[in-house]
Amino acid sequence: MCPEEAPALSNTTYDELEVGSVLGTVTEPVGAELAGSLVGTIGDAGEAEVAPPAVFPVLFLKALRRTLGGIPNGGVLAKYELDFGAPLKTGGDVAIEVSIADKYVRRERPYVVVQFAIDDADGERALTGLKTIMWPTGPGER
Amino acid sequence: MPADEFPSVSETVTQETINQYADLSGDYNPIHVDEAAGAASEFGGTIAHGPIALQTFFRSLTEWLGTTAPPAGTTVKVVFRAPTRPGDTIHCELREREGSEIKAECVNQDGTVVIGAQASIPE
Repeated sequence: MCPEEAPALSNTTYDELEVGSVLGTVTEPVGAELAGSLVGTIGDAGEAEVAPPAVFPVLFLKALRRTLGGIPNGGVLAKYELDFGAPLKTGGDVAIEVSIADKYVRRERPYVVVQFAIDDADGERALTGLKTIMWPTGPGER
Repeated sequence: MPADEFPSVSETVTQETINQYADLSGDYNPIHVDEAAGAASEFGGTIAHGPIALQTFFRSLTEWLGTTAPPAGTTVKVVFRAPTRPGDTIHCELREREGSEIKAECVNQDGTVVIGAQASIPE
């Protein structure tokens, strides 16, 4: 583990996030080694010709880091909603479009919903995912 | 075609598991990997990345389906209800099944529900 190599956590505030905005599209490899380490007990070497479902939350985190700097310190994962497309073969790249699908305050707690649209190397949709994060700052806070 | 019985996969989470997930995902948030930062937090120690506990559901689901990946058209909804800490043993329990729609919970050794999950598999 090399945390000193990791970029700083995002300090993006709730107010800075605009619903409907696209934060960016990034390309990530989905290798057999990554997929294999997520097919059984996390970290154990396994074999997977198609990506097991646990690959997608990893891709969410990687894409969030590259487009937003990661989840701000104090952010808490609240929900996922995953719509699976065609099974994703390992060994290729995926394109991940990251956008802000929604943000709202419920029971005095701020939430941000991030959408991930993941396409395989042929442009076929592998997954559309929504990740709801309880954001550490609310409206008007810095 | 799903199996008759929904498997109940169990996993014990360790700090090593959490560190491995940080390496896989690049998420080195101190609440996960820095024991001093975890101790100073409201949790009193490090907590696992949410997807680590979710793995018991994903493994149960794919074993039930007999595939590595859910088929196209599958939807999965997940609510994270409580943190998972190093030393916790999480298992997945089926709560409801109607055709190819299931509701399950991931539960720790104390009976605390850490994750609620539901899946709809295309017929």
